[in-house]
Amino acid sequence: MGGLSTRWILSTLSNAEGDLLMNDTDPSGMEWLSVGNSRLEVLRRGQGQPVLLLHGMQNIDPHAPFLDFLSRRVAIIAPSHPGFGHSPRPADFDTVYDLVHLYLDLLNTLPYEKVTVMGCSFGGWLAAELAVTCCHRIDRLVLVDAFGIKISDRETPDILDVFNTSPQEVQRRSWHAPEQWTPDFNAMSDDAVVVRAQNWESLCLYGWHPYMHNPQLKRWLHTITCPTLVLWGASDRIVEPSYGCAYSELIPHARFEVIANAGHHPEIEQPAVFVDHVVRFLEA
Amino acid sequence: MEIWYHNENPYPFVPQDVLDRADSVRASLPNRYCDPAIAANLFEETLDEFMLCDDLGINVVAIEHHAGINSLFGANPLILGILARQTRKVRILSMGTLISLRPDPVRVAEEYATADVISRGRLDIGFVKSGASEMASNNANPVTNIERYWEAIDLVIKTLQHQDGPFSWEGKHFTHRHVNIWPRPWQQPHPPLWAATGDPDTTSEVGRRGMVNVLVLRGEDGTKRAWSAYRQARAEAGLPPVTTSNFAYAALAYVGETHEEGVAIGSKLLWFLNTSLKMAPQYAQFLPGAMAPQFAPQVYRTKPQPPVRSDKETGAGKPVVSAIQNVGGLIGLTAEQAMARQILFAGSPDTVYQQIMDFYTNVGGFGHLVIIGRSGFMTHAEAEKGLKLFAKEVMPRLKEIPPRTVE
Repeated sequence: MGGLSTRWILSTLSNAEGDLLMNDTDPSGMEWLSVGNSRLEVLRRGQGQPVLLLHGMQNIDPHAPFLDFLSRRVAIIAPSHPGFGHSPRPADFDTVYDLVHLYLDLLNTLPYEKVTVMGCSFGGWLAAELAVTCCHRIDRLVLVDAFGIKISDRETPDILDVFNTSPQEVQRRSWHAPEQWTPDFNAMSDDAVVVRAQNWESLCLYGWHPYMHNPQLKRWLHTITCPTLVLWGASDRIVEPSYGCAYSELIPHARFEVIANAGHHPEIEQPAVFVDHVVRFLEA
Repeated sequence: MEIWYHNENPYPFVPQDVLDRADSVRASLPNRYCDPAIAANLFEETLDEFMLCDDLGINVVAIEHHAGINSLFGANPLILGILARQTRKVRILSMGTLISLRPDPVRVAEEYATADVISRGRLDIGFVKSGASEMASNNANPVTNIERYWEAIDLVIKTLQHQDGPFSWEGKHFTHRHVNIWPRPWQQPHPPLWAATGDPDTTSEVGRRGMVNVLVLRGEDGTKRAWSAYRQARAEAGLPPVTTSNFAYAALAYVGETHEEGVAIGSKLLWFLNTSLKMAPQYAQFLPGAMAPQFAPQVYRTKPQPPVRSDKETGAGKPVVSAIQNVGGLIGLTAEQAMARQILFAGSPDTVYQQIMDFYTNVGGFGHLVIIGRSGFMTHAEAEKGLKLFAKEVMPRLKEIPPRTVE
């Protein structure tokens, strides 16, 4: 346990004074946490049972409305993976293996016996890996339009190759209402555009091969014993709901629920409905 | 000065409306548009041009590109094998097997050693960084491309020159527990090494290693910037100066009987720029790792804003945005513009000689000129006529220029 992580835990456990003293909080409201030799930008919001939120292809937008809805019920801990957002990527930290062990280290560092782990898209893959490896530290598991396994035959890709598809097509297949969510690089700040490019590069680094999945993971999903919700956008065409359904059937007692009028990012497109599903599951 | 002939063996015979509709003429254009009978004729013509070069004393260059109308040379070692046997006099430059795309550099070294032995020591080995649509065509992670490039080069070199029984390699990207190739190369310790690159970071490393640095269609500014980085890196490392033999320039080039004829036929070479470079955005500005993320504001936006960060802030070892901008800036040039930018040398023997020497003087000299002498719809007969005129009227004057040390 490194010095900074200890200090962060102190602040988590204590009070506003602790926050001021112990945390390196930048103007965007993000905090900084050290785990091993990784330094992570972390968004923390809300009070209640802790939820470790692992983001997908983009880091968490602090202004996303679902964070406000969710943080009324739980305490969100949402790090940016190394190489995403403003979290630096240590040299030679370049595999999903590294990410999984980083978050195992984080689970051991957090001052809670158990946390809920929620992973979206690429982060859902990480969440499933954590659940297989460290289920005793996980209260509940929520997988949202998650990557991570291979379902179909060898000539049928389950997950759209976002690096070999036109950006317009990736957009079209990502959203229920793509025209509302097309990124406008002309309107973004330089920093926001640079972050998006870094996210894209890091996603490719981690997820290139085997593409967005671990061939061994499927075999071990049956060892997940915590209550699990697999949540999917009905209009997701990055990875279709049928994949989510198959995923849920591999996890004992998992619930599979679909959110209408949402694509690959139901937490963004239908924030209130999304949070309703999550809260109902957490309180069940 | 040494002269080299380069013909990528493009396949231009795809209907224009198909090309116009396609978002990319590389990687994703269906190969149903490639008629094998036409391809066979193109290979025969191109190999005949290389054989003519052998008669004329012009060295030959075999390149490698994948899955596009710009080149049918997808398997460089096969072409090298043919040239190693069928040519008898000239040197052969592999430019090159795309080393960061192949899973086993040891196998590549073995292919090179074989071609060097068959040709009895006439092989030069060139390394190309690759990128863009070839990442998709070769299932290669674009983000780690440059790391694989240098590790593969290190492994190829060690494989070529190691003579003491099996050695083992456990690198980041390549492992091989038992390396001991037969045959070993004819040239000792290994054939001359070239690298095609224009970005200052990579060029600096090429300079420290003393490889021949070839600049392709970079014009005066890009060429001077790269060779300055090359020399500066050597000086900073305390390495001795090199001669002009360490520098090569590749340009579109055509010699006609008159200036007008040379320009008219030479302008057909612009097909390479105007037609064969069309690439979908996922292979260009949105390809991960194609540029340092700091350049994204300039490249992602459709309404460019002034850059706010300097080149100093780019990630070390990454291609810089100028590579993308260089390609983008080449599309749609007229012959006059291409000649003004010194990426096309065209005209009569005298005017072509003068254009080459102007460039030679402006960039501080170079020891190798690679003439890209056929592309697009230029015919085989036109290419051969231009080659003969070049060999008879221009080459003797260039060959008189000896290597000289450059500080």
